[in-house]
Amino acid sequence: MTETTHKPEGSPPRLDMDEPTQVRRRLADNAPTTLAGQVRENLFYLRGRGALEIGIIFAVLLVVYALLGARGGFPFFTESNLSGVITQNVPVLALLAIGVGVLMVAGEFDLSIGFSIAFSGIVFIKVANEHGWLLGLVAALAASVGAALVNGLITVYTRIPSFIATLGMGFVWKGASILVNGVSPAILIPDAQTGAFEKIFTGDFGFFQSPLLWMCAVGVVAWGMLHRHRLGNKIYAVGGNASAAKAVSIKPNLVKLQAFAFLGVMVGLSAVLIAARTTTMQPTGTENYTLLAVAAAVVGGCSLTGGRGTILGMIIGAAMIRCIDNGLVLGHAPGYYRESFLGVAIVAAAIFNKFMEGKAT
Amino acid sequence: MTIAEPTTPPKVAPATEPLLQLEGVVKDYGPNRVLDDVSFTIHAGEVVGLLGDNGAGKSTLVKIMSGVVPMTQGRYFWQDEELGRVTRPETERRGVETIFQDSALVPTMSITRNIFAGREVTNALGFMRLKEMDRITTEILDSVVSIEGIKSAKQLVGSLSGGQAQAVAIARAVHFKRSLLILDEPTSALAVRATEALLNYLLQLKGEGVSSVLVTHNLHHAFKVCDRHIVMNHGRKILEVRREDTSVEELTAAVVEGAVGVERHRRGNSLA
Repeated sequence: MTETTHKPEGSPPRLDMDEPTQVRRRLADNAPTTLAGQVRENLFYLRGRGALEIGIIFAVLLVVYALLGARGGFPFFTESNLSGVITQNVPVLALLAIGVGVLMVAGEFDLSIGFSIAFSGIVFIKVANEHGWLLGLVAALAASVGAALVNGLITVYTRIPSFIATLGMGFVWKGASILVNGVSPAILIPDAQTGAFEKIFTGDFGFFQSPLLWMCAVGVVAWGMLHRHRLGNKIYAVGGNASAAKAVSIKPNLVKLQAFAFLGVMVGLSAVLIAARTTTMQPTGTENYTLLAVAAAVVGGCSLTGGRGTILGMIIGAAMIRCIDNGLVLGHAPGYYRESFLGVAIVAAAIFNKFMEGKAT
Repeated sequence: MTIAEPTTPPKVAPATEPLLQLEGVVKDYGPNRVLDDVSFTIHAGEVVGLLGDNGAGKSTLVKIMSGVVPMTQGRYFWQDEELGRVTRPETERRGVETIFQDSALVPTMSITRNIFAGREVTNALGFMRLKEMDRITTEILDSVVSIEGIKSAKQLVGSLSGGQAQAVAIARAVHFKRSLLILDEPTSALAVRATEALLNYLLQLKGEGVSSVLVTHNLHHAFKVCDRHIVMNHGRKILEVRREDTSVEELTAAVVEGAVGVERHRRGNSLA
């Protein structure tokens, strides 16, 4: 850099600047012009974002299952297995994984959902038995969104870590369930399951059941919200660097509360789907879902520190966990080891994702 | 520690209309007073250097000017109108853009999404027009800051070097500039050529009537482009001087030794 005179004349003054020895390549020139080039570029920038790698692994898993099925004695790709286990178990976990995952992208956790599912489900059954399923659905959503917002308000305004706040609040929601219903299971009476209810929540379409439609519909809506809507951009910004978000007028607290509320909707929906299928709900029957949903989100590429994760990844994460579990049952893995195998698979997937995260460009 | 104002503060004639005016700004962080009775004015179409050693209160002042941090006491005027509550949305509405020292980007988001975070180009329903946003990003990265090594607007900011990330922050501020650009140590991570391009850009903006506040350790950079210099020391303004009335040597003395340095420098000059 060369010194300039201290009082430049003329306006606007210019500093001396070395002429570049070669013409700089412009960014615009790097844009691919062919379709193949565009596909390659898009794939390149999907690397390490969460969905691509785990999607490939999931595809490999399905191919292995298909090969095992062709050899015989491994009935994964059969109508009864797909319809029974996959399209009932995967969608509910996927909905929860989407809710937990979006909240994780925003940089927070909710470890109370196992109990708030039960609370929401019990509220649903109580109200549906008295006033019909539609009001029951509304009440269930109100209960779950209310619970999630209370969790969110405590987290956002007291600034204690959300996993502690929600760990504690989980017991409050368990207590709320017992308060509403006592310790015995709430039973959905057959009169409440009339009309459109069956079709909407438990409808059987042969190869799949209605929860799968719910998963697809919610998946599309959530994808639009997180990846294409400006709200999603704010969720990523808040989870990735809250102070940077604040500097561009994003309100981190508001965005986090929105993510909590979204999780609440997912919890309410899952609770109704579970209650509709089992026609019963008890205060402690759904505890496992908390960690399964977090695991599904992590397997699907959500970062524990926020700012990273995709809707497709969350769904694949849920499907992966359920399919591995299902595969262990079909392969006659010893019952006591099943959960251990599943745990190992989850941890391995999380390590793999952490590794891929570093490859992101 | 008390530091007297210079006995004869140099006259600063207003260049044009006042844009941003701070009066008697005090900022306490708990028991610590980091800013003590700071007042100054930024005029339209002016480049002002905000100088001082570490801990002088420059960054706090930047945060107050951009509305990220509330002041404990003091008044904030924008074009002679006093703002009641100085918040970031309020200053953003007035056209204040800030490049923060810690460059305030989200590492897990792409360059495009960072540049448009909170100000997305959307359709009526709020869905982002990503192609359009990518196109604008490419354009401003190509035109504003000459920076090597960025391949695409889709790259994650976390995969960029410090200088590249800073260039993105600068490109964002420049793209959304309207009235006042505040740059907190913008050149610390930039290569020589990118630094010169940036400083030239400030002069070009000035020609278009956009004011800048340049916060820097590098007095040579500041001296090249700034019309006026404000030197901070331990939370107080110790010197406000036009470029014509000072020298790099005097500014250095002020930054390094505080008000005593200014005195010593002036005495030295008058004796000589």
